[in-house]
Amino acid sequence: MSPRRLSRVAVSATTLVLAGSLAACGSSGPSGGGGGGDAAQVWALQDTTLNPIEQASIDRFNESSKVGDVELQTFGNDPYKQRLRTAINSANAPDVFFNWGGGNLKEYVDAGKIEDLTPMLDENPELRDAFLPSVLAGAEIDGKQYGLPMRGVQPVLLFNNKEVLASAGIDGSPATWDDLLADVAALKAKGITPIALAGSQSWTELMWAEYLLDRVGGPEVFQNIRDGKNGGWAQPEVLQAMTMLKELIDAGAFGEDFASVGYDVGGASTILAEGQAGFHLMGSWEFTNQLGQSPDFVKAGNLGYGPFPAVTGGKGDPSNLVGNVSNFYSITKDSDAKEAAEEYVKTALTDETYVSDLVEAGDVMPITGVRDQLAAGDNADYTTTIYDQVANAQNFQLSWDQDLQADVATKMLTELQNFFLGEQTPEGFVSALAG
Amino acid sequence: MAAQGRERPSGWYLTPALTFFGVFAVLPMVLVVYLSFTDWDGFGFPSPSGAGNWSRLVSDPEVRHSLGLTLVFMVLGWVVQTPIALLIGVWAAGRQRNRAVLSSIFFLPVLLSTAAIALLWHSVLDPNFGLTQQLPVLDRFNFLGDPSIVVYTVAWVLTWQFVPFHTLLYQSAARGIPVSIYEAATIDGAGRYRQFFRITLPLLRYTVITSTVLMLVGSVTTFDTILILTNGGPGTATRIAPLYMYQVGFSGFEFGYASTIAVVLLVLGAGLSLAVTRLTGFRAMTSQQEGL
Amino acid sequence: MSLIQSGTPTARVPATTEPAGPVTEAPRRRRLGRERPNWLAGVLSVIWLLLVLVPIYYMVNGSFRTRQDYLTDNPLRPPADPTLDNYESVFTGGFGRYFVNNIVVTVGTVAIVVALTVPAAYAVARNAEPLVQRGFSIMLIGLAVPAQATIIPVYLLINQLHLYDTLLAIILPTAAFALPVSLLVMTNSLRDIPNELYEAQTLDGAGAFGTLRHLVLPLAKPAITTVAVFTAMGAWNGFLFPLVLTQSADQRTLTVGLTTFQSQFGTNVPGLLAAVTLSLLPIFFVYLFGRRYLLSGLTAGFGK
Repeated sequence: MSPRRLSRVAVSATTLVLAGSLAACGSSGPSGGGGGGDAAQVWALQDTTLNPIEQASIDRFNESSKVGDVELQTFGNDPYKQRLRTAINSANAPDVFFNWGGGNLKEYVDAGKIEDLTPMLDENPELRDAFLPSVLAGAEIDGKQYGLPMRGVQPVLLFNNKEVLASAGIDGSPATWDDLLADVAALKAKGITPIALAGSQSWTELMWAEYLLDRVGGPEVFQNIRDGKNGGWAQPEVLQAMTMLKELIDAGAFGEDFASVGYDVGGASTILAEGQAGFHLMGSWEFTNQLGQSPDFVKAGNLGYGPFPAVTGGKGDPSNLVGNVSNFYSITKDSDAKEAAEEYVKTALTDETYVSDLVEAGDVMPITGVRDQLAAGDNADYTTTIYDQVANAQNFQLSWDQDLQADVATKMLTELQNFFLGEQTPEGFVSALAG
Repeated sequence: MAAQGRERPSGWYLTPALTFFGVFAVLPMVLVVYLSFTDWDGFGFPSPSGAGNWSRLVSDPEVRHSLGLTLVFMVLGWVVQTPIALLIGVWAAGRQRNRAVLSSIFFLPVLLSTAAIALLWHSVLDPNFGLTQQLPVLDRFNFLGDPSIVVYTVAWVLTWQFVPFHTLLYQSAARGIPVSIYEAATIDGAGRYRQFFRITLPLLRYTVITSTVLMLVGSVTTFDTILILTNGGPGTATRIAPLYMYQVGFSGFEFGYASTIAVVLLVLGAGLSLAVTRLTGFRAMTSQQEGL
Repeated sequence: MSLIQSGTPTARVPATTEPAGPVTEAPRRRRLGRERPNWLAGVLSVIWLLLVLVPIYYMVNGSFRTRQDYLTDNPLRPPADPTLDNYESVFTGGFGRYFVNNIVVTVGTVAIVVALTVPAAYAVARNAEPLVQRGFSIMLIGLAVPAQATIIPVYLLINQLHLYDTLLAIILPTAAFALPVSLLVMTNSLRDIPNELYEAQTLDGAGAFGTLRHLVLPLAKPAITTVAVFTAMGAWNGFLFPLVLTQSADQRTLTVGLTTFQSQFGTNVPGLLAAVTLSLLPIFFVYLFGRRYLLSGLTAGFGK
């Protein structure tokens, strides 16, 4: 054999080894599933309490399904959007996916990725009628329906630890901003962190800005920001709200440690439950979480809650809510298991057991006529309060980070975190975002 | 049969490696330069945007901040890790039994993955439920939440993670120093510290260079530790350049602008590679043995 | 990627695993050991020992606690009521699957890197053609290039190849970015093979392939070990590629899996500690039984 040929043999041998190892790995890859073959993939957020309920719903569906199976995949809150965006262009895109509605969903709709569910609702009017119209509107874009509510409404409430408040001589939720400032001072005097805050995840800080801006200037101010009207972030109400928030931070309301406390990892909730803080501003899912993580705390009746305080002289109605209107399931346009996906979304979300499981877990499904069920349920006090708040709210603003474009939202969250750390002034915050 | 038997391999032997590297490393590097001149939000295809991203980059204070941080971690890492690794390495080179046992414990962090180390320290340093809260003095600090401390916290965790490896380098190098040199020095009446500075340190200079280069390269590429430990926070206190790129890309979904930041990182990395290969002269392949 | 990324050998050195005999004379060294003890070094070592051991002790100890116990008691005290529940929930949480995936990724990456590096290094070491040397130079530029900087185009590429959410998607770029270091280590070691040995092969009438098999491969074993150990650590630790290039739990690697546990367990810190401990155990056993091999493999290619 000539040397030349020999070296060619060597090269092909190497190539063979390489190809062999690739093939080995390749075959071990997809056999694991691409997530599980033909079943329609349903993506949701990781949630100790809700995931079993979702799984049970899927199991029930699969048992009787004639159009194929569905499979649940769950993700942590923070990486979820990244996963969704990177997967949506691939062959491994989900068939049904969890979302917040609003501007976030709109980006996907504009990209032509989402199935229009309007025909489904037109064919099944009883399905449309099953949901509260105000909540259904959260996933309505340009007059078309792109998602159906898959879990309870989630307004943000001011939670408290009743025992801690009592020990500082405070009776119940503050009605006005000034009351809150007084409560903060009282708790501080007792050596307790007044307000728990999971500051390592800045969407928790965002809730304070959202409510304050609403109370100070009414819902139109943010709508202008979102739609790029009237000067956006430069509207004077923004500066006013941020200045008030600055006063609260400077008063030491959130203690010293908030910047490294996480919500996903349960930090802030545990701080409240363990009596290390008096208040905690959080979405209504906080109740479900506390029930799961610190059941004794909830069962002893120590978890209090109330609406965000009013601001005297402010333009926003005290009944206004911010938060997640609900979470929605949407179907991807390119789904290769669309039949199962559609059937699941059509039948499973209004399924009696699913709804009652959620109610039992403290979730308030936006289903018409659910109030009686709530009143008869385990946590009637809490769930009916939520239901009534939503039903009576003049306006329900979706969380800003879900309603704004991703790039603006990311920048806003960073600026906000710096703001809470005292590294950004109210004026600096405004000019960073307006500029 | 080739009786003349030339053993020299043909260039084809390099081809598979080069091709593979070309497809999965060089092609992405070229693509990232292209992407830096486009806008892309993850849907559909990138659309050309001229030099828009580049002019934004020049006026983006966050880029300067994050590159500055990378430099801080580079310097801080070297200043802290080198003396520790050098001292422990030389000490562990001794053949005494207790040193052997202790040094095998010193190397334990090498066995933990980056993610594991970051998660472990995250829970050790948790300001509410962490280990440091139970210890005197340490409980007064919020290691992960205080912007003025967190840089040092991260530098410490990186030290904990990487010192064992560098210790290992120094240990095996120190073991290579002929004992006779020390014996001669002892006879001349040189004390231990003089021996360290006059004999050990000069003889370890190549190892110092190796270790330094590894540290420099390491700090350009440090990423996962900070992502898991602080996610760049609080605020932007630890948001180094690669992390900023990642967040612009995978949270803000501005893949075009993220690519622009990535190009800066690429240039820095390639520059460092060139500097390393030129300055340390390993390509010239002069044997290091002479230096010993 | 961390270790790989931190790793660029500069100094060339023969890839023998241990310093050769004549240099270190252990028995004579002992005479030095008889001198007065080195207090400064001793004290520093003990401090460092504590800094290394306390977090690890905290981790192992904490993993046997209940959540409530952890929250109320000093985390350094041994658990009053040790429990294995945390380990159980880690296993039911998918640990086994993540672990197997990590092994597949690691083995696959090492196989590719070794298979590509040995012939390539042989060419670089023995073929002075400008084209070959230029190819070598190109690959060396990748030495310090941070892999993260290419994550966006790599994601695009993997997607185009329809490999998104497969283990192969992690293996391919990980291997590519491990190549420069490996090639450098390997080339240096092949250059140290005395020219006479190569010439002897020529006299025996062996061609390039025969030389590769009978001379290069046996003599390159220490360098192959170094490359394998180093690549394996990089692949085992890899975080960004698995994070971005896979999504389903079936394809999740251990590193990403650990962070999933973090949000799954919430404030059940003991659960997380159990997962971290478990992720250490297998390597710890490798370390126990193959310490010398592993440690010398890590440094052999890097100069002494």
